[in-house]
Amino acid sequence: MRAITNGKIYTITNGIFDPGTVLMDGGRIVAVGEKVDLPPGTEVVDVKGAWVFPGFIDAHTHLAVGGEGFGMGHADYNEAFDPVTPHLRAIDAVFPEDVGLRDAVSVGITTAGVTPGSANVIGGQGVVIKTQGRTVAEMTLGPWGMKAALGENPKMVYGEQKKMPSTRLGIAAVLRDQLVKAQNYLEKVKKAAGNPDKLPERDLKLEALAEVIKGELPLRVHAHRADDIMTALRVGEEFGLRVIIEHCTEGHKVAKELARRGVSCTVGPTFGARSKVELRDKSWRTPAALAEAGVRFAIISDHPFSNVRFLPLFAGLAVREGLPEEAALRAITIDAAALVGQEARLGSIEAGKDADLVVLSGHPFSLKTQTLYTFINGELVYSRN
Amino acid sequence: MLAITNGRIYTITQGILPRGDILVENGKIVAIGTGLPVPSGATVVDATGKYVFPGFVEAHGHAGVMEDGFGWEGRDGNELTDPVTAHVRAIDAINPEEQGLRDAVEGGVTTLWSTPGSGNVIGGDGVTIKTHGRGRTVDEMIIKYPSGLKAAMGENPKRVYGNQKKMPSTRMGVAGVMREALAKGQNYLQKMKRAAEDPEKPFERDLKMEAIARVLRREIPLRVHAHRADDIMTAVRIAEEFNIEITIEHCTEGHKVADELAKRGIRAVVGPSLTARSKVELRDRTLLTPLVLAKAGVEFAIMTDHPVIPIQYLPFSAALAVREGLDEEIALRAITINAAAIAGVADRVGSLEVGKDADIVVWSDHPFELMSRVLVTIVDGQVVYQREEV
Repeated sequence: MRAITNGKIYTITNGIFDPGTVLMDGGRIVAVGEKVDLPPGTEVVDVKGAWVFPGFIDAHTHLAVGGEGFGMGHADYNEAFDPVTPHLRAIDAVFPEDVGLRDAVSVGITTAGVTPGSANVIGGQGVVIKTQGRTVAEMTLGPWGMKAALGENPKMVYGEQKKMPSTRLGIAAVLRDQLVKAQNYLEKVKKAAGNPDKLPERDLKLEALAEVIKGELPLRVHAHRADDIMTALRVGEEFGLRVIIEHCTEGHKVAKELARRGVSCTVGPTFGARSKVELRDKSWRTPAALAEAGVRFAIISDHPFSNVRFLPLFAGLAVREGLPEEAALRAITIDAAALVGQEARLGSIEAGKDADLVVLSGHPFSLKTQTLYTFINGELVYSRN
Repeated sequence: MLAITNGRIYTITQGILPRGDILVENGKIVAIGTGLPVPSGATVVDATGKYVFPGFVEAHGHAGVMEDGFGWEGRDGNELTDPVTAHVRAIDAINPEEQGLRDAVEGGVTTLWSTPGSGNVIGGDGVTIKTHGRGRTVDEMIIKYPSGLKAAMGENPKRVYGNQKKMPSTRMGVAGVMREALAKGQNYLQKMKRAAEDPEKPFERDLKMEAIARVLRREIPLRVHAHRADDIMTAVRIAEEFNIEITIEHCTEGHKVADELAKRGIRAVVGPSLTARSKVELRDRTLLTPLVLAKAGVEFAIMTDHPVIPIQYLPFSAALAVREGLDEEIALRAITINAAAIAGVADRVGSLEVGKDADIVVWSDHPFELMSRVLVTIVDGQVVYQREEV
């Protein structure tokens, strides 16, 4: 058993214990509170008033698949020769020794959504991983969802190749077309009722999309502009899908529409330049507008498009522009956990949850704060010294 | 007349005034002190409880040249059709209304060395400008032109011309192209000299050579993009061969050769440190580089390289170096007076002193605090930005 004592403990879901203790065993949190009885033999880490948070979660990244430090030529997240690639799986490109993962751990980001890119209308399946491990199998927590993309990226990639889609019209059509094919496929499987003579031939693309149609996987739609966000909602309603909006750059313009439908989103990367026309109205005020409307959201780095090691500061910048601090913390902890389907295991300091913790020298929204320790599954994976 | 009153004033070069006033007339600072009488009729900016800094200086960025919020339409920083384009000038590509320049003003960055990119071995002439561009022409924004010729080593020119199956496609090629251009510049100067002595001798004006000649005459520095330590040392070697002044731009592995730079008095501009390691040559990047350079005695500035990192995050970049141990005062100098010196304009900007340009920024808190906001930006004595309350 191991205990962190004398910490300023932000549980996220159950207030702050100051000073407090967290007791861990077997990779889980066993107890948290102002007074926790420590069994004999417990290894005590006295953090002397330092700040303790649940491991931060970056709900949308290209960590470990981005070829960081090898040149983006080694990037393995866009198979940009076919606009529909639902059968691709990010898990097959995860490089556990990626420098970005090391950076993530060094600032206390212990879980990441890792997703294919946005070149394709349907890009493939993302995976949720812990940021430290020897093999992808031991890092994997579960599926992230099916990546889709609207707007400039697929337009640009296939427009240049003189293929469909080269317009927003084309993108929506390609998306609908595939969803209908998946419905047809499911229908055939259903009609066959197990009869091998009637079963359609196995098709990995449609098999993957069938999970989206059945609602087992969310369709996670890259959409920056408000009109693209509304297209995603429209298509989602037509097919009865669970839609999550990724990036949501102009979410402040349609926050009520998202709230009314209970659609969640990830917001970011807000830190970078406005590198495309569809980013012109990007603003740090978007998170505050979403919070005010009652939309659940995570703040993301979209690493490498903004650097994962500054994720807590990005949440801080949203606070500077009016987001309540508590909402900003949730956007990189419990709400981010919910957005990657892991809120039962991650995102807060509670008994029974994974012992993923970060110990900081100060508040995570201060530029001068240093990471002292990071724990994943109860193991010390980073120490400043 | 404009008066900024009762602020916590960081002059940079002359210490801190806990409750000070600044008087401004005709675009210049005319007085700094405590309890200065405010002339009647002066416009007053009440800075009580606020922080007052000189406008920050971005010693290396592309605002104006690489336009925010546009695609290829606004990308004018790299003329990738010839590895030696000494004759191109950033000044001809600056859009004063560009969003990045507006972000600079709203982020408290009032001076910028705006430069061509690093696709070419010799990329062209940079220009030092005020970032306030709304309603102005680029000519009105210029503080100093020319103020440095851009050059580049390493992966960028290698990649660009390697892909085009042209020289340079290797580091050898990059150095070869650079030496050749400088040698041609020497020949040009020689011919010019002979023609001056004897009008019968042939001489034709050549704009590329004219730009390189300014470097060879040590009128402006060659500002060499170099990330890896070996690229930095190649730049140093070439500088010694041709007796030119250089600065090291980016200086990503500067921590490995800090003593070599210090020994030669070579200055550096460090950054951008907030991106991912998007290239192999960035693998050993660390936020500790400024600290190591400072300890070795290298004079340096910190840059965002806008739009690589948006220009309004210049103070963050400096603050993160402080987090890793850099002295706060040195970090502030790296985005004020040192940056101004490297951009060739330390006589005009980079500190709050009598006689200098009235480029003054009022902050809600210390700019190294994440929550700090720019409340008022003053350029040349004019209020050009005032924060509206949310």
